[in-house]
Amino acid sequence: MPVSDPEKLVAKADKLTKLSLTRWSADWRNATLLYEEAANLFRVAKKNEKAKEAFEKASKGQEMLSSYILNKKIRPWDAAKDMESAAALAKELGNWNEVSDFHRRASELYMECGRPQLASDALAKAARALEDTIPDAAVQLYNDASAILEEDGKEQMTFDLYCAASGVYVKLEKYSAAATSLLQLGLAADKCNATNSQCKAYLGAIIVYLYAHDFKQAEKCYNDCSQVDAFLRSDQNHCASKLLSAYTEGDIEEIKRLAQSSTVSNLDHVVIKLARKLPTGDVSALKTDAAKEEEEPLDEDDLT
Amino acid sequence: MSVIDILTRVDAICNKYDKYDVEKQKDLNVSGDDAFARLYASVDSDIEASLQKAELASKEKSKASAVAINAELRRTKARLLEEVPKLQRLAIKKVKGLSTEELAARNDLVLALPDRIQAIPDGTAAAPKQTGGWGASAPRAEIKFDSDGQFDNEYFQETETSSQFRQEYEMRKMKQEAVGCIVSRAINFDIPQDQGLDMISDGLDTLKNMAHDMNEEMDRQVPLMDEIDTKVRTLLYPSKFSVPLMKLEFTRRVLCASLQVDKATADLKNTNVRLKDTVNQLRSSRNFCIDIILLIIILGIAAYLYNVLK
Repeated sequence: MPVSDPEKLVAKADKLTKLSLTRWSADWRNATLLYEEAANLFRVAKKNEKAKEAFEKASKGQEMLSSYILNKKIRPWDAAKDMESAAALAKELGNWNEVSDFHRRASELYMECGRPQLASDALAKAARALEDTIPDAAVQLYNDASAILEEDGKEQMTFDLYCAASGVYVKLEKYSAAATSLLQLGLAADKCNATNSQCKAYLGAIIVYLYAHDFKQAEKCYNDCSQVDAFLRSDQNHCASKLLSAYTEGDIEEIKRLAQSSTVSNLDHVVIKLARKLPTGDVSALKTDAAKEEEEPLDEDDLT
Repeated sequence: MSVIDILTRVDAICNKYDKYDVEKQKDLNVSGDDAFARLYASVDSDIEASLQKAELASKEKSKASAVAINAELRRTKARLLEEVPKLQRLAIKKVKGLSTEELAARNDLVLALPDRIQAIPDGTAAAPKQTGGWGASAPRAEIKFDSDGQFDNEYFQETETSSQFRQEYEMRKMKQEAVGCIVSRAINFDIPQDQGLDMISDGLDTLKNMAHDMNEEMDRQVPLMDEIDTKVRTLLYPSKFSVPLMKLEFTRRVLCASLQVDKATADLKNTNVRLKDTVNQLRSSRNFCIDIILLIIILGIAAYLYNVLK
């Protein structure tokens, strides 16, 4: 494809969008198509600057298109689709703010169409794109997406979202938040009677607490989770109790052995990575704390 | 306290505080060229340290710290056992200034080492079976380490004022020996079976996990399939209430048609009536027939008259 063609397309598209005496309203639809074509041709010709400009114009066109359509109150469906393609273009350009904005707008439009699943998908796409660059925003998007699905009653789709959210939290080193999102996963799984996922989520939460060296939290978490019947009867419960007892005894080999066991290897790979790094910190410190607690009642007995 | 007790106690104390004896260190350092002697000395000191830790562990009231010390001991033992082959290799080498007797002695020392290492009580006490295997060349006049080591444990127990500790220690040791016996037998005899069983159990765990996940995935797909089903149905039949509507439409059309037919017949009837009336107005039917007959008669008469007159 000769290079002049995309330039011609861009020129044509510009003409379409410029208002003049003969043209009273901008023909954004055709203009956007032409911009996109031109942008693709530029990309193939590896003229990245020009491609970027064309993409920007195309995304602006999409935006105008969707707002134009909304003003006309034709179906929001087309507007949403265009927004999604604009967001994809923004992702290619690397405008991360625009990515999140466009995806949010697209999800709002999908909600107007009455398709909450697509709305949450749009937010999830945005979150995935932003995971590496703006993890805080990504986590927010994941939470919003899960909220939409839960309102709709489709908790089964939220499992992946919660898993991903906890992965991002772990990257951000916000371990309590990661454990919280895993517990939310457990709750969602409970509503769908997905016992396996629920037990895996609980075990994952306990491991995250132990990785953060927060033994008390881990124990509390374990006690809470033991209230749940499904967890009590599961393999993951055995594994968790063994892990906690290994921690109280300060038995590092046992901890390492449990981390290699098949129960842990079936969890989410973020959690597996954390488990393999256990024990963090000073296990003997935990052990002496536990020992001191045990010794005090013994001393009282001795005195009496 | 007998003289022998005092002697052995003094020996033990000397061993413990040897590191502070400068002269003895100098002697040891003389054998600096001899790698074997150096390594052996370090292994020896490690064993002594582990033995002391072991007795500390047995005195520990809290189980947790005892278990920790035991774990530490186990690790040290494993490390020391690794050193033994090195020592064996070094023992065989000939070093200048060393008599053949001493060389043989070194070999025996090295062979006795695993025995001593295993004898360190670490919570899972050394199985008598293993010591039996190694103990072939252990009892030798020149070697005194073994008896000294064992003496230390029991000896310090006896100096405690309360004999309760000693009883507890021995009870625990017996229990642990019994467990260790069973475990070591299992390990020595059933290694191939256990490994196979372990592999099978791992495989089964993986399968179980996969099956559970598949189950949940199926549950997730069911509502999606329902949605697809309804969507396809609406595509094929544009309206949700399509069938009754069609019926309604049909009846409506039939009714309309029948109405029209009725109207047409009504019209026709009307026209016929009017026509009849019109015709009757002109001339009633009876009179019309009489008129026609009379006309024919007149024409007949006229024709006859014409024929006659011609």
